[in-house]
Formats: sequence, structure tokens, C-alpha cells
Amino acid sequence: MAYRGGGGRRHGPSAAFHPVSPGRLFTCRTPTHNICMVSDFFYPNMGGVESHIYQLSQCLIERGHKVIIVTHAYGNRKGIRYLTKGLKVYYLPLKVMYNQSTATTLFHSLPLLRYIFVRERVTIIHSHSSFSAMAHDALFHAKTMGLRTVFTDHSLFGFADVSSVLTNKLLTVSLCDTNHIICVSYTSKENTVLRAALNPEIVSVIPNAVDPTDFTPDPFRRHDSITIVIVSRLVYRKGTDLLSGIIPELCQKYQDLNFIIGGEGPKRIILEEVRERYQLHDSSKIRVRLLGALEHKDVRNVLVQGHIFLNTSLTEAFCMAIVEAASCGLQVVSTRVGGIPEVLPENLIILCEPSVKSLCEGLEKAISQLKSGVLPAPEKIHNIVKTFYTWRNVAERTEKVYNRVAGETVLPMDKRLERLMSHCGPVTGCIFALLAVFNFLFLTFLRWMTPDSLIDVAIDATGPKGAWINQYPYSRKRGRNKTR
Amino acid sequence: MEDELSFSDIYGGRLALQRRYYSPSCREFCLSCPRLSLRSLTAVTCSVWLAAYGLFTLCENSMILSAAIFITLIGLLGYLHFVKIDQETLLIIDSLGIQMTSSYASGKESTTFIEMGKVKDVIINEAIYMQKVIYYLCILLNDPMEPNGISQVVPVFPSAKPRLDCLIEVYRSCQEILAPGKATSTSP
Repeated sequence: MAYRGGGGRRHGPSAAFHPVSPGRLFTCRTPTHNICMVSDFFYPNMGGVESHIYQLSQCLIERGHKVIIVTHAYGNRKGIRYLTKGLKVYYLPLKVMYNQSTATTLFHSLPLLRYIFVRERVTIIHSHSSFSAMAHDALFHAKTMGLRTVFTDHSLFGFADVSSVLTNKLLTVSLCDTNHIICVSYTSKENTVLRAALNPEIVSVIPNAVDPTDFTPDPFRRHDSITIVIVSRLVYRKGTDLLSGIIPELCQKYQDLNFIIGGEGPKRIILEEVRERYQLHDSSKIRVRLLGALEHKDVRNVLVQGHIFLNTSLTEAFCMAIVEAASCGLQVVSTRVGGIPEVLPENLIILCEPSVKSLCEGLEKAISQLKSGVLPAPEKIHNIVKTFYTWRNVAERTEKVYNRVAGETVLPMDKRLERLMSHCGPVTGCIFALLAVFNFLFLTFLRWMTPDSLIDVAIDATGPKGAWINQYPYSRKRGRNKTR
Repeated sequence: MEDELSFSDIYGGRLALQRRYYSPSCREFCLSCPRLSLRSLTAVTCSVWLAAYGLFTLCENSMILSAAIFITLIGLLGYLHFVKIDQETLLIIDSLGIQMTSSYASGKESTTFIEMGKVKDVIINEAIYMQKVIYYLCILLNDPMEPNGISQVVPVFPSAKPRLDCLIEVYRSCQEILAPGKATSTSP
């Protein structure tokens, strides 16, 4: 989830008016869709959701779909911009309220969003992240307009505290009439189904992907003595207590063994205690190095220094860390919990029970394999792993969801009201049913003010009739977008 | 050569586009909006006066009535002189420059001239305008500091706001003059 794409992929502002060659041929095996990704979170903001949207859109464009992205304005970056391959991004001038999320009144964004949906001839709205108010707004409007909706949930929530009770209620309302929901892991699916009281059949699991070019092995930077790398938050869930039992035992057994621990958390103090007690940080020879919090771009530089990656999680939905480590060519030793056994094939991972004894045995096995030289070369591991979690695969699976959704019907207004009232409890259900009616009346008013026929159809930059030409020299891309 | 086409603006109002081809390197495009209709004038005047009478019955001060008359008169004059643009003209002469003229309803004219050396290109762009996303024609000006940079974007027909089909028509003709070689292939 903490995956980040490079910042240098963005292109400057440019206009869409490039020649269309009339006889361009498109070989489409599947029907193409006009997809609109909506989220408050997009570049220049950095994070997992942002890069997920960007990478997924790029791969969908590659597969011949038309994709546009709608987000809110970031400082001076407002209006309409084009990114690589003609990915069109609308930076709407909406007020940001908290944590890069826009304020939600459920109504104020309708005129603009409706205008965009109509002019771009959008057929599927794909919203991202449950923290994004704009994503929920777009779902609400899209359902009023009778468009098909898909929602991707990127995060896990609790059930107990007040804030999660409230967000869960909102999520229930927002998702009860959404066509399809995508979660990034099975644990996340379970969590979402329980939180939003959904039918599990409309929830799909599509894992995140790793950009294998970001995690490449570098055997020359490895330490001479065997090094075990741990990169995780130092919290109870990640099994830091187990780690404090493993370190002294193995350090006594193997004199040339080192540990590098990246990450920060409340359990750091335990590791520091262990280090003091067993004197593992003499000035001449630092056996256990604690690096503290790591930026995501530094993770690779830490990973390539080691030979073995240790993951001691006690519970884990889908462990990206072990994929990243394996992609860097490390032998992975991990606990057998949650979804971890499904992530990597058996020959790349040594699975142990979550106990000190079992993990020590696993590590010893890895060390003996390393010393005898039976482990495959890092480059070889990288080449195997890089085929596992690719964005192309994610796009392919997302496309299947779109195909399924395209065949479904959108609930008509009366059914939608019924669903809202029966699914979301008597009070919330009635309030939101009323809001849905208001939204519909507002939409009718807007349709009367500016009929759909008065809205110019936008020229497609991507998709079957895309006007974007890649080989066009950069200096010829012209224009600057303004918001007035 | 002269011809006239009918288009609509982004609100659905009618626009007439007159094209005058003086010579192969000189063209004029003239967008005219309908004149101020008697009906809307009457409607606005009536509503202002009705509101004034309403206030008058409440506080019984005849100042309000005279103020209403002055407000309508001054408002109408100001509207005709500063707001209502009847006609917008784009005159493009190869090797000389581009001239944009807007004629107000009162007869006032304001003219901008951009010499050809400053013009980098004429393009159609998209922008978010009020609660809409619209296309507009604009002239890109060269940046004297940077050879490839753009110093300013000048919108064409800022008050008429024609729709895309009309813009494409004007854009094509402009490109025929600006870049005669590729005129046939350059279309949005």
C-alpha cells in the first residue's frame, strides 16, 4: 500500500488538438469502456492511492479504453491537464477541507461533475479510497444519473471507535447501491463486507502491484557478512516481540551475523533493550543497526544491503513488503499468517510458525542454504518475482470487473430509494433517501437549464477514437489551461 | 467572397458567423449575437419597478420610486456601453497580424492588435468556466525570453463563447493562413 511511483512521469500542460488520422485501425477483443476515475487523491500529492490510479489508468489506456481522471485542484494546478499517453486529468476548483479531502455537501459538485460525465460520454465511474469525499459524491451523482459505478477500497478500518462507526455508516450508504466493489486483499474484502454490510458476491479482490523497476537487486552493495533485513513498523501486530527473542539467539550462534532494522514504532524500545543487554552495538562492530523511520524511496537501498528478509507479522492482509524484498533478490523468511502463504511460491519463501523457535529454525535453514550456495542468484529471483504482481495484470482483472458491470443494470430511482431505506437503517436510510430525491430534482433542474444537447462532446485523447499521438514532438504540444 | 453560417453559443443562444475572404492571405470572421430583445428589457424593468413599488408600500418613501427610475436608466446605459457586446470580429492578415474588435451595443468599439511576429499559434483549448467545461479559441504569444515558451494566452471571442463546431470552423481557416502547408491535415 505504501507504494509510490516516480514523480518524473508527469508531462507539462498541453492541448489535445492533434491530427486524427482517419483510418486508424483498432483491434478490440473486448468492448471498450469510457472510464472516469474519481478521487481526491492524485498527483502532485504522493501516496499509494495516487500511484494506483495513475498506473491502472495507464495500463487501461494501453488496453484501448478511454480513461479520464477527476480530482480537485492542487494549489496552482487547476483546469485540465494531460499526462503521458493522453491521460486527461480534470483538476476541479473545489475547496479542500481536511487532509486533501474536499468538503462534502453532496450537491455542490453535481453541476461540474455532470457536465464532465456528459461531455466525456462516461459509462463507468470508478471511485477510489473511502477517505475521499469527492469519490463518494461522484458515486452518489453517478447513481442519480444512471451510470454504472465501481469503488475501490484501499484501507482497513476498525469497528469500535466513534469515528469508524460513523465512517462505516457512510460507507454503508455509499456502497449499498454501488455496482461493484474492489478490495486490494482478502482481509480487506472481509473488512469492507463487514463494515458496509455488503453482499460478498459483488466484492472482488485485485491486489496491488509493485513496479519491479523500482525494486531491483544490486549484489555489489551487499555486506560481506550475512545480513538479515527487517523493514516494518515496530508495533505489536508486526511481531516485534518475536524479533527481540530471535536476535540474541542467532547472534550468539553465528558470530558473523548482522541485523538491519528499518522502521519506527512504539516497540522500538524493546529492540534497544535487547541491543544493550547483549551488547550488540560495540563501537568496533555494529551487529544490530536500527535505522528508524524510512522514506519509501529509501526502502530499496536498505533492502539491497541484506541477504535475508525477515517478516514477523502476526496478522497481515497482503504483505507488499515481502514482494518488494523478493523483487530485490532477498531470501524471504516469514510467518505463516493471514494471506502471506498466497503471496509468493514456496521456493522463494520459508514459512514458519509465529514463534521464536520456529522462526530461528527457518532463519538457520536460510543461512545454511546461503552458505552452501544453493540459493538462486538475486537477479534470477528478481526475474521470477517481477512477473507476479504487475500493473498490466491488475488492469486486466479490473477490465473484467468493468465488463461485468457494463452488463448489469443500474437501479432505477424507486428501487434505489427502497434499497437505501431497507439497507441503511430507518433514520440514516430515510435521510439519505430524501437527499437522493433532492439530488434527482437538482439534476432535473440542471438538465432543464443546460440540456445534454448543449454540452459539447469532448474530443477523446485516449480510447478507440483517441486523438493522442505519441510520436508528436514535445515542443509541438501547445497550450495552457486556465480556470477562470 | 462572403458567407454566413448559423451556430449557437454555450447557453443555446443563436450566433451568426460571417466569413469574409478578402484575399488568400486575409480573412475576417465576425460573430454577432442577437440584439437586446425588447422582451427581456421589459421583463427586467418591470421586475425592478415592481420591487420598488413593494418597498414603497412598506416604508412609504417616494425616494425609492425615483431611485428605481434612475437605477433602471443608468443600469441600461451601463449595460449597453460596458457589458453587452453585439459583435466580435477577428481579422487575420498573413504577414501583418491578428486584430480583434468587439463592438458594444452602444456603438463603442475596442480593438486589440497582435503583430504576426508575436503570434506563436492559434489553438482551441479547454477550460473550466463557471459550472461548465468549455472549449475556447485562443492565440498563443511568443515569449521573447525563451524561444519555445508561451508568454500569454489571449482568448478570442471572450463574450460570444461559441460552441466547438463554430470554433473548429474558425480554427481551420486560421490555420490555412498561419500554416498553409499543413492546412488540410490540421484539424482537432
